[in-house]
Amino acid sequence: MDWQALWLSIELAAVTLLVLLPMGLALGRWLATTTVAWRAWIEALVMLPLVLPPTVLGYYMLVSLGGSSPVGRWLAENVGLQLTFNFAGLVLASVVFNIPFIVQPIQRAFEAIPRDLGEAAAVSGLGFWQQLRRVELPLAWPGILSAMVLTFVHTLGEFGVVLMMGGNIPGETKTIAIAIYDRTQAFDLAGANRMALFLVLLSLCAVAASFFASGRLVRRR
Amino acid sequence: MTQDSQDHALELTVEQTTPMPLSGSLRCEAGELTALVGPSGAGKTSMLRVMAGLMRPRQGRVRVGTDVWLDTERGLFLPPQDRRVGLVFQHYALMPHLSALENVALPLAHLPRTERLKTAATWLDRVQLGGELIQRRPSGLSGGQQQRVAVARALAREPKLLLLDEPFSAVDQMNRRALYQLLAELRQSLNVPIVLVTHDLNEARLLADRLVVMDGGTVLQQGTPQFVHRSPRNARVADLVGIHNRFRGIWEGPGDKPGRGRLRWLVSGDQPTDSDPVLEVIDKGRIRVGQEVTWMLPGDAFELLEGASAHGQADEFAATISDVRHLGETTLATLRLRAGPGAALSISVSGADQRRVVSGTPVAVRLDLAMVHVMPKHPHERLRS
Repeated sequence: MDWQALWLSIELAAVTLLVLLPMGLALGRWLATTTVAWRAWIEALVMLPLVLPPTVLGYYMLVSLGGSSPVGRWLAENVGLQLTFNFAGLVLASVVFNIPFIVQPIQRAFEAIPRDLGEAAAVSGLGFWQQLRRVELPLAWPGILSAMVLTFVHTLGEFGVVLMMGGNIPGETKTIAIAIYDRTQAFDLAGANRMALFLVLLSLCAVAASFFASGRLVRRR
Repeated sequence: MTQDSQDHALELTVEQTTPMPLSGSLRCEAGELTALVGPSGAGKTSMLRVMAGLMRPRQGRVRVGTDVWLDTERGLFLPPQDRRVGLVFQHYALMPHLSALENVALPLAHLPRTERLKTAATWLDRVQLGGELIQRRPSGLSGGQQQRVAVARALAREPKLLLLDEPFSAVDQMNRRALYQLLAELRQSLNVPIVLVTHDLNEARLLADRLVVMDGGTVLQQGTPQFVHRSPRNARVADLVGIHNRFRGIWEGPGDKPGRGRLRWLVSGDQPTDSDPVLEVIDKGRIRVGQEVTWMLPGDAFELLEGASAHGQADEFAATISDVRHLGETTLATLRLRAGPGAALSISVSGADQRRVVSGTPVAVRLDLAMVHVMPKHPHERLRS
């Protein structure tokens, strides 16, 4: 078992979730309530990472942010930031790759709140933030929870885009999915098997726990 | 009308054609209940939403007492949060994740938590909901109990205007009566204007001081229920307020007596014939000679005569009884006048006369012509045969 790779994966998943959650909440709620005509385009853009092959996404990110690209050069010269073949680049790739996984369930959860509840809150004198805190977030919580779990688990198992953006640097960009690939290439099937099985169990438990929790939340109503 | 009630009255004017037509104005005094009636899609709920601030019309003005909530001319629009309005939603719109108590505490966010819950419990007590019920979530309450919670939440806002959107549509008859009672009490004690949206005319007549009849987004007529029922402005209003005894006729101008006019009753078809009876009815001077009209007669403006034959008076007719339905204290039936196929009168009979109402029986009937109300014919009107 490559504990270093596992820990890196968990770290990556946690940081990705931390970055994505506020953005997912804002974008998901906005998409659920907006009536602007170009909403369909935004929704399509949000879904894009889901339908593109990860290598395509990784490729474009690599060429647009790499050291020889204008953006990459500008970042390196002015901010001193390099976004390829390191952890920061991995985070960026994960964030982009996971946008549909966080936004979609959150959007559906906000959409499922009956419109008259928001109106009742407004008539009761609740302002935007009070409404969000006391009505919308509690009602959307099961959806938000499943979005968080989905994003976390999905980041743990991500392979293509990570390999393209980060390569395979132990302790820096070598995640558990890449470690499994590595072991298989080296004919260490027992090692690959242990890690694969561990990943299967961890993912299964996380998803089951989220279903269990949201089921309980919904039943309590 | 006291000075006090004037100071808290609701005044509303709305005028728009897009995105949906909505126009009309109304006034409701404090302590008065105004019912908006009309078919689905008439714009009743939209009017309510304009009052609550949930909808912003193209042009309009809403004033409650001295507070102006909406004035499009001055670009003024207060959001619902700033309006102090209590709204009971059609399906109650209770928060499913909050207990009854917490739902009622929602408009009390300005109070500290313990005081908030105490005040909420007082409001629930006012609508006769107490004990462990108030700790339950809406899903654990019956329809009638949920409705009480919704009313308590609207009251907890200490509203200057109370709005009820079809509040009775989803509860059974027993709960409905209890809520009529509650509404009557609130009207006495609150002293704010109350506006009720309903499609149930009996409910409107029972509860309202004023009716506002709407159709196609427009206010067609308003007044006391008695006034609207006795004198609908046109045939469409008569239709909407459920007046069944509507007939066609031709206005033939002044009658023999002063203040009376001659109305030819088209009983046999579209064209007048000599056999069509002529009625002497009250002339309000609004109809020109030769104009085609719709006229109506209240369901109680007739008298069954002794014996089965008319005596040749202009207001007496021979008829046959049909379609009898006994409903306990009253009996509904149709009187088919022998004068012609277009002369069928829906009647409601109570008391001793009920025994005489038997299907197929020939009777003589005297119509109370003083109660006849004549209206211009509506261009798209189709009468029931």
